[in-house]
Amino acid sequence: MSTEMLGLLVNALGETSYMVGASAAVALLIGLPLGVILVATSRGHILEQPVLNRLLSGVVNATRSVPFIILMVAIIPFTRLIAGTSIGTSAAIVPLSIAAIPFLARLVETSLLEVDPGLIEAARAMGATPRQIIAKVLVPEALPGVILGVTITIISLIGYSAMAGAIGGGGLGDLAVRYGYQRFRVDIMAATVVILIAQVQIVQFCGDTLSRWLNKK
Amino acid sequence: MIHLADITKTYPSPSGPVEALRGVSLTVNRGEIFGIIGRSGAGKSTLLRCINMLERPTSGKVSVDGRELSSLPEQAVRQARKSIGMIFQHFNLLSSRSVYGNVALPLELAGKSRAEIRQAVEPLLELVGLTDQSNRYPSQLSGGQKQRVGIARALASQPQVLLCDEATSALDPETTKSILRLLRDINQKLKLTIVLITHEMHVIKEICERVAVMENGAIIEEGPVFEVFTNPRSAVTREFIRTVINHDLPEHFQDTVFSSTPVPGGSLLLRLSFLGRTAEEPVIAGLVRRYGIDVSILYGNIDHIQNLPFGTLIVELSGDAGRVESAMNALRDYKLGIEVIGYVDRNARAAG
Repeated sequence: MSTEMLGLLVNALGETSYMVGASAAVALLIGLPLGVILVATSRGHILEQPVLNRLLSGVVNATRSVPFIILMVAIIPFTRLIAGTSIGTSAAIVPLSIAAIPFLARLVETSLLEVDPGLIEAARAMGATPRQIIAKVLVPEALPGVILGVTITIISLIGYSAMAGAIGGGGLGDLAVRYGYQRFRVDIMAATVVILIAQVQIVQFCGDTLSRWLNKK
Repeated sequence: MIHLADITKTYPSPSGPVEALRGVSLTVNRGEIFGIIGRSGAGKSTLLRCINMLERPTSGKVSVDGRELSSLPEQAVRQARKSIGMIFQHFNLLSSRSVYGNVALPLELAGKSRAEIRQAVEPLLELVGLTDQSNRYPSQLSGGQKQRVGIARALASQPQVLLCDEATSALDPETTKSILRLLRDINQKLKLTIVLITHEMHVIKEICERVAVMENGAIIEEGPVFEVFTNPRSAVTREFIRTVINHDLPEHFQDTVFSSTPVPGGSLLLRLSFLGRTAEEPVIAGLVRRYGIDVSILYGNIDHIQNLPFGTLIVELSGDAGRVESAMNALRDYKLGIEVIGYVDRNARAAG
């Protein structure tokens, strides 16, 4: 392996990790509460708000139905507003986050819905407030599932980040396209694929382990 | 302690409103164990949830310990719920928390400090006999142990009232007995008022002082357990009692046609229930001696309701019609439950 190639790979791995890590953090920060709100405001739940629920659900569906490559281009003005530029690795974090937030929110929603309604009833019978029910019952009980949801989100982000090259985001996927595909560098193509596989394996393994450790069922 | 006045609860449904409770009034005294029995769908679960306002009644008043919960806003109701414990059929323990963590939960919700929590939880675990299981998780416990955690958790906020929602229905008979014993213990030790709902009559028989029978969203019968058992007035109640005390006629009487008026040369079938001390009196021997009639015992059983003996006898009185009549009158002077099954023609019976 040439030092040139090694440099390219290390650089691309750094970019991918940066984009995925940052957008996953944003997704967690916004997607997790959004998932909680989607559940809590649903019909018959602790903070029933049918109108708000339908509105949020609509927005989530709309965002999720746009293909990522289109989303990335479509929100360029928004990206410029947030990141100050619409091209580059940092700029790519904006569309990646926008795509990951509703994705994670739905996964969080699914995990929270699996919490036995009896537990919520028990907490209500103890005089818990809705906020306490969320913090002490819903989220801790759903945590193993939420962790798996975060894992899936990170892996999806690794996939999405390959498209970030379209707006100059760089990263492993971009490297594979530009060198491996367009310049027929089979060695670089193979190396990026191997690194991507390893990355996904590591993320999945960590997520599974953490989830299993938290799951006392 | 608990006073329900004319509670109704109506749920909307696609096929029109469903009336779960139709005007239920009920008083539970301080310190007693009150049972509500009914088939599934009778409304007992909804009624229980009206006591702590998990279900807000459509109309009617709920007061607990002198406070009218049904007129309070949600926040005040939440506060009031802290003095009403509740345990559940499926325990509803948090799987992510250890035994200790589950019992600590109500105290955490009340904003108690770690030290206060430790001070409260440890004696509770001891009370329910789970001190050595403190660090285990619910999935590692048996059903009976889980319910003990549920009880400890319900007692953590030092409630005045404990609501039991089919608390033993998911447990085997042995475990049910031990949980019922525990409930009776805490009722006596802590002077706790307990309301339990069940579909199992033996639970009522075991620990309740008074019972209400529910059917179709209404209470159809109510009274001291002893009285309801010995003198059931409704068919539903009799059906429930039959599950713990055999009320059937002996097999060879099953197809017999009974007459409600005396039959010449016939005999009279009675079902006698002996309550408490009278179970020890020589009633039958007295009848034979004083009235010169024949008494044959067709069926007999002695049971205990809350440690009081309770006997059932099916007897056949035969002999001179006048004497049988006077014997009947004499029986009425005893404190007995008497149910006239009917007169039967002995010859017809012999032929049959």
